[in-house]
Amino acid sequence: MDALSAFFTVFANPELLALVAVGTFAGVYIGAIPGLSVTMAVSILISFTFSWDVYPAIALMIGIFMGGVYGGSRTAILLNIPGAPSAIATAMDGYPMAQRGEAGEAIGITTVMSFFGGFIGIAVLALAAPTVSDFALGFQPRDYMLLAVLGILLVGSLSGESLVKGIFSGALGILIGLVGMDPLTFTGRFTYDLPLLQSGISFIAVMIGMFGVSEALAQIHHLDTPAIKQKINRIVPSFGTIRKHLPLSLQTSTIGVIIGALPGTGGDIAALMAYDHAKRVTRKPERPFGKGAIEGLVAPETANNAAVGGAFIPMMTLGIPGDAVTAIMIGALFIHGLNPGPMLMIDQPDMFWFIVGALVVANFFMLIFGLTGIKLFTKIVEMPRAVLIPLIMLLSIVGAYAVNNSITDVYWMLAFGVLGYFMRLYGYPLGPIILGVILSRLLDDNWRRAIISEREDLGRFFWGIVTSPLSLTLFIAVILIFVSQTPLWTRIKARHAARKEKATDQ
Amino acid sequence: MTPDNHDIEALQDEVDDLHEHPRDTRRPGEAAFTLLLVAFSLFLVWSAFGISGFEALSAPGTVPMATTLIMVITGGIIAWRTVRLPQSVGEAFGRDILPPLLIVMALLLLGYALLLRPLGFLPTSALFLILAIKLLWRQGWMRTLLVSLGALVLIYFVFRIVFTVLMPAGIVPEGEMLQWVRNLIPGGN
Amino acid sequence: MKHVILGAVSALALSSAATFAQDYPTKEIQGIIQWGAGGSTDTVMRAVTPHAEEVLGGTIVMQNVTGGVGAIALNQVEAGQADGYTLLMGAENPLLYKVMGLGQKDYSDFTPVDILARGTPVLVARADAPFDDYAGMLAYIAENPGEVRFGSTGPGGLPSVVTAMINAVEGEQDVISVPYDGDGPALTALQGGAIDVMPAVLGAAIEGIRAGAMKPLLVFETEAVDALPDVPVATAANEGYNKYLPWGPFFGIFVKKGTPDDVVEKLSAAYTEAAEQPDFTELMDNRGFTLLNLTGEEAQSFLEDWQSTTAWLMQDAGQTKASPEEFGIAKPAE
Repeated sequence: MDALSAFFTVFANPELLALVAVGTFAGVYIGAIPGLSVTMAVSILISFTFSWDVYPAIALMIGIFMGGVYGGSRTAILLNIPGAPSAIATAMDGYPMAQRGEAGEAIGITTVMSFFGGFIGIAVLALAAPTVSDFALGFQPRDYMLLAVLGILLVGSLSGESLVKGIFSGALGILIGLVGMDPLTFTGRFTYDLPLLQSGISFIAVMIGMFGVSEALAQIHHLDTPAIKQKINRIVPSFGTIRKHLPLSLQTSTIGVIIGALPGTGGDIAALMAYDHAKRVTRKPERPFGKGAIEGLVAPETANNAAVGGAFIPMMTLGIPGDAVTAIMIGALFIHGLNPGPMLMIDQPDMFWFIVGALVVANFFMLIFGLTGIKLFTKIVEMPRAVLIPLIMLLSIVGAYAVNNSITDVYWMLAFGVLGYFMRLYGYPLGPIILGVILSRLLDDNWRRAIISEREDLGRFFWGIVTSPLSLTLFIAVILIFVSQTPLWTRIKARHAARKEKATDQ
Repeated sequence: MTPDNHDIEALQDEVDDLHEHPRDTRRPGEAAFTLLLVAFSLFLVWSAFGISGFEALSAPGTVPMATTLIMVITGGIIAWRTVRLPQSVGEAFGRDILPPLLIVMALLLLGYALLLRPLGFLPTSALFLILAIKLLWRQGWMRTLLVSLGALVLIYFVFRIVFTVLMPAGIVPEGEMLQWVRNLIPGGN
Repeated sequence: MKHVILGAVSALALSSAATFAQDYPTKEIQGIIQWGAGGSTDTVMRAVTPHAEEVLGGTIVMQNVTGGVGAIALNQVEAGQADGYTLLMGAENPLLYKVMGLGQKDYSDFTPVDILARGTPVLVARADAPFDDYAGMLAYIAENPGEVRFGSTGPGGLPSVVTAMINAVEGEQDVISVPYDGDGPALTALQGGAIDVMPAVLGAAIEGIRAGAMKPLLVFETEAVDALPDVPVATAANEGYNKYLPWGPFFGIFVKKGTPDDVVEKLSAAYTEAAEQPDFTELMDNRGFTLLNLTGEEAQSFLEDWQSTTAWLMQDAGQTKASPEEFGIAKPAE
């Protein structure tokens, strides 16, 4: 019964309740502004809440975390500028909806689905944390590498008009991620002895440039087109809509929890993988993907919020951060005199149940704040473009600077903004670039770790894959997905379908 | 059909055109851009080889070499396809790809980047916002100033005060200013 | 708004006319943290600084400037004014920049404000490793050359230094060195069985050891530590370690060389007092750090000793890009 009372701590304490509410509210806005990140907010809170008790401090951080992960979708839908990396997939179908004047509906679906995903993540954390963390711990470098390869194959579903252009963009993204001093050997890669290149190119700077500045530049073409009037009378999605997407959202939430629980992968990869999954399993979307498919919103939003609960799993059971935010929270627990590690669940089970309770409360507040105040947000899109464009540019600059307090990042951001503008115009998809940057280190580091561990012996490396059930499953998934994207497969499928049609004709 | 709806559809078409639309013509400047990417990729392959050569499978240069090779191959295919497409009719580089307004905005951004460090965040941003909004919005000075400075104050408050992001101060003695403001608030330091 | 600016300008005029240390600080101080949010340097700095702010009666705004193994932050502070308004909050790494070819600047371009604490290296093995102690590990490596996987964190990191010590004392060991991003990810990999042995800082490994998720083999100290009283110390296992120990990664706060002495003293006093606060000492204990709180001359000679020991150790292990001799780093006394 101790667990139960710890779980209800937040519910019963008005002060904690208020802190979670404030955190969630702030989180939505922090998440929505590109360049203000949850990671940043939480690390500032460490000094800010230094003299507080541990419960209020953690309550505030959890609120910001939950709200922030959700908030990224706002600007993705309204402006085609993802507020956070985990909302990149959301923009692909959310923005087309906003262009039809359906921003209200898109935000409504996003909110409800984020709530659903968040809830699944919390449920798994509460009920199966030790099992999931054992599973996550079992991932070897070669498994991470295979996971990265699996991720890179998503290029196919992010490519739009041309797969070749998608592959080019993906490779460019991987390359951008590799620039700088190699962290494993301190060899410079593509640095040309320039200090500008030595610390690498910030992923956030690339993202803000590619999505923020390049979008703002592209919008100059439409300066005189009046802003789209948004219908905001139907925000809460109908029960039928929710029920229809329930099976999909369960699947994508599962993807979110697992990817979130793996140390080294987080909500960004989870959301993209979920988007790809939705594209694969949805037979007949009401609208094609990329043109405003509801499924294209459901998948990434359930996944990235489910990843929040997932990220807490290794943190609570092993003291290992599931992502950047939980890494800072572990630091916060240390500062407050707790010792996060495998013993935390045994020594202080209250802390675990308190966090679960706070997450539940934060999830409810997210639903409330998500469904209210939409009017204000949609007003942003109805602002004159002439004002909006310079503001987006300035926010992009400040945001790029804020990530690492570096002017170099601002230069990179602007350069990628211009490059992104031309790529957009000439039909190169931008999603794969970001995908490549996200997965670059995961792929390179783990490939090298895996092959070093096997003493540079490819035979031993493949033997390792074949003899481990997990690696083998991932390997087969990689091959299946790869084959399904090649022209050969489409031809076989077409022939198969033709034969079937013939059969039904007779 | 109301005029409102008409506008939406016009915009929709334009956006479709801009984003993804299987094209059978080549846009102005596209061939040059594509060839530039191929040349850049070739240069990168050479750099990637220079990192560690074919030293070992785990060498820092292995993945870069594989990646850049993919870029060269796909870039080559794209270039081959693009160059063979007919030039699109009715599109001009100076109007549909790089209109003068866009160049001016890009120059403003460049100016911002160059002035940020010496001049500091506040003056540079004020200058940028006022010029850009005046240029794009074509409204009176009063409204332009009001909107741009209002927005700047808001951004400054959120990033500098709440999130303590230390943008370059330049010629503005921000540290002293903020300390002075803090001293006004009793108990604050 | 106008009034504020006018006021500020006149305040500036006043303060620049009289930059005496008794006024310090007249504006907010920037603290540049060399490592990312959530890392141990970050945690330690964010825990100690609020206390120092209280003593100092000023505001210290902390920001993380990462990249280049901390060199970006170091160069940024070095490029600033020597007025005590920019602090470098860093770890041991800069002392190896020169020999590792990572940069031309190190702490010799700075004045130490306070060397806060030092960590203890400990050698841990995964729970199901086929050996239970240090001697067993050496024997197993000898019997299975090239099979045991050691975690590392890149050249110059703690694992590479400890591994170099082992090689120097016990003779070259034939092991595979698998690089990770930091000791956190490496210890995760250790628990997952991807690596067998990891030299880590005690604070990072202690909870895993307590839970039985990893086995402690050897503590790199001259005397047993409170947290692990039963684990043998390196100098008892082999006297050769006396040459190098005590050794450990450390955290410190620095200002650019040339900062007025009275400002440095004021800062040192503030941080010394801050580091004595019970909640900070408790944090240090919990994380297995030894509180040093060194200032002035003591801090300076600590830095020199550390650099000389480590740089020459790395040089002898063949891991440096340039000899310490080139930079006038003295060889440690035999």
